[in-house]
Amino acid sequence: MYPLLVKFDVFRKQPARKKSASNYIYRNVQNDDIMGNAYARAIKPDVMPGPDCVPTFDPMLGFESRKERVMIATVEEMESAKLPLEDRDYCAHKLLKYRACRADTFPFVYKCHHEKHDYLTCEYEDYVLRMKEFERERRLRERQKQIEKQGA
Amino acid sequence: MSAIFNGLKAAQRLQAANPMLFQHVARGMAGWNKDYKPAQIPKNEKECTAAAKKYYLLPEEYRPYADNGLGYGDYPDLGKGLGIESKDPYYPYDFPEHKRNLHETLHADIDLYGEDRYSQAEKPRFTNSQYWLSFVGVMSGCLALYYWLENYRMYRPVAVKQYPGDGRKHYTFESE
Repeated sequence: MYPLLVKFDVFRKQPARKKSASNYIYRNVQNDDIMGNAYARAIKPDVMPGPDCVPTFDPMLGFESRKERVMIATVEEMESAKLPLEDRDYCAHKLLKYRACRADTFPFVYKCHHEKHDYLTCEYEDYVLRMKEFERERRLRERQKQIEKQGA
Repeated sequence: MSAIFNGLKAAQRLQAANPMLFQHVARGMAGWNKDYKPAQIPKNEKECTAAAKKYYLLPEEYRPYADNGLGYGDYPDLGKGLGIESKDPYYPYDFPEHKRNLHETLHADIDLYGEDRYSQAEKPRFTNSQYWLSFVGVMSGCLALYYWLENYRMYRPVAVKQYPGDGRKHYTFESE
């Protein structure tokens, strides 16, 4: 998981810099966030989030500003395309485009390669976002614990 | 009527052409299933001795099946569990492929006790309680391990999938 994430700024180990509200997230990068999440959960159940965890902290905590995700496909479009409920995510408009392309060009569906990879890339980025949210949750819990320890 | 006479004439001509023919037919008609049928259960000592001799057994070895209407008649009861498998493989049998000698009495269920079927001549290695104990031990050990490790499962370190309209606001990690 780690080599994959190196290219994303959020997980890059930053050189030591001034402590500010926005860089708390770069501290406490330990080995247990690279591999062995099941082991980490077993030894630190209070800090390590479980599978498919729901983020508990304020999403704007530590951010100056943050781009909100926008849903482009409308409910009517998804309903009329009979999109399964699990596909009605933030990539649904690309899936609709891909399916429409397939329906239009059949049997020459190779012409839809762009739509297909556009959709799959969108889903990949969605997954990476979930990994980032998980790691943010874990680090925020770690920080919370340290703050409580210092306060006590 | 004429068909009968014509048939008789044809038989006479056949007999004249091949004198062995009707002997052959008569010999072929021997060995019907009625000939394999056992006789009635012997009533007295003399009949018992005769039946034992018929099945190539000593009179003291001979013991017919119980007369329960299942039709074994005077066929001897040779006991249970005599699988062919348990016979000595090094003895020079008359028919080595079946481990059988000439005039050896067959078990009534010989089709069951063949070497490729069934044999319960040897005692099991352990007692039934030991078999049950090891079965229950292995199964409950696996179950205990399963429930103990229930909270230590492998999982992918990802947060819950974000769907629009699930009651939360979702953000990317980019700033506006």
